[in-house]
Amino acid sequence: MSNQVNSMGKGLTVKDLVTTGIFTALVFVFVLVGGIFFAPNPVLTFFMPAGSGLLAGPVFLLMIAKVQKRWSLSIMGVVICIIWFVTGMHWAFALGYLIMAVVADFVAGAGQYKSKKLNSLAYILFSLGGTGSYIVFFADPNGWAQTMLGNGTEQGYIDTMQATANTGILIAMFAAAIITSAISAFVGCKMLKKQFEKAGITA
Amino acid sequence: MSGERRKKGLWLDPRTKLFLILICVLASMFAPSLAYQFALVVLIAILGTFFGKWKYVIKAVCFYAVICVLTVWIMAEMTGTLRTMFIAFLGLFHKVYACGMLAGIVLSTTKVNEFLSAMNRVHAPKKLVIPLAVMLRYIPTIQEDWRYIKDAMRMRDVSPSLGGFLSHPGMTVECIYVPLMMTASKAADELSIASVTRGIENPNPRTCLVQIKCGIADWMIMTVAVAFLIFELCVRGGVIG
Repeated sequence: MSNQVNSMGKGLTVKDLVTTGIFTALVFVFVLVGGIFFAPNPVLTFFMPAGSGLLAGPVFLLMIAKVQKRWSLSIMGVVICIIWFVTGMHWAFALGYLIMAVVADFVAGAGQYKSKKLNSLAYILFSLGGTGSYIVFFADPNGWAQTMLGNGTEQGYIDTMQATANTGILIAMFAAAIITSAISAFVGCKMLKKQFEKAGITA
Repeated sequence: MSGERRKKGLWLDPRTKLFLILICVLASMFAPSLAYQFALVVLIAILGTFFGKWKYVIKAVCFYAVICVLTVWIMAEMTGTLRTMFIAFLGLFHKVYACGMLAGIVLSTTKVNEFLSAMNRVHAPKKLVIPLAVMLRYIPTIQEDWRYIKDAMRMRDVSPSLGGFLSHPGMTVECIYVPLMMTASKAADELSIASVTRGIENPNPRTCLVQIKCGIADWMIMTVAVAFLIFELCVRGGVIG
């Protein structure tokens, strides 16, 4: 194994790419499992990013610990973006994950992928990617509803929208997503320390 | 190969399918009204019948029709906060449904190796294609691992259910995550050795038994899709401007 890593130089080796792929699969499954209870429910749909942020933290942190190179997180973002897009999720949702994964890559990179705090922060940022489609919704609620209401968007709808949703739910959504992903990252850090570092799994 | 294709019905280039999904996303983004959204679903349904997916198509269209009726009813009857909630939810639903339906058809008719050689043909970078392929291959394995882990947990008196999670959260979480992540990182090591042995680093272009090429059917379907999108944009532009 060590031979192979040395011969490939500094960039991402095949091993890193395969590791990225496998952990992307795990992250994807955890995000899906966490979010699936929330998404089809009209009242809870805004807390979907929070739900999907709750589970994937440990996997995300282990992947950073295992690869420790730039672009690995970005590649994960691109792959997840493609999968969301191909499975027909809203485009802003896929784009949100892509952008936040690149941001997370640079945040974790600031600490050479070794700082636990920066890695946790990177995870929190990454899980905020799920809010993409909701941001589009809040930015343009009229356009959103236009499909259903035809062209006559009613005044009552706009009023309710501005009164209830615009500030309250948006803030609650972000807060909930940040809190759950922070918990997830915290649990992940503990778990890495307790189980994986001793076993020599982290590179 | 051609005999097999005829049996399955229509065979499309994976690149065409990706293009269709892109058009579908754009079309449902710019759909001027519910009727067009429904037309889009019907078009996808026609495509699905070409692929020979009768049952799937019938179920999907019926379900969408019910949702459409429900939407019209909610728009007419409800008021206040509840209505806002439903508008938010149904908006997402209508935007996603058509693409999700197309994606279902595409995923069930495309094989991973066809997809990979198509990606190679469009010169997608290897750094992207390898993780993507590994991921698609690994998802079913997670499912399998999960069953083994559940069995093992029962054996050691840790309940893998919600009740067990509530009574011993720390224990249950560890028992789920640790084996999953351990197997994942072992699989990563083994798979990378295996794929290097099989020449994944080979710089020559990849070959594939299945010939990937754009036929008449591909061009026709793409034309129909683009025509629908342009028609929609015209209607939208005409109404607004």
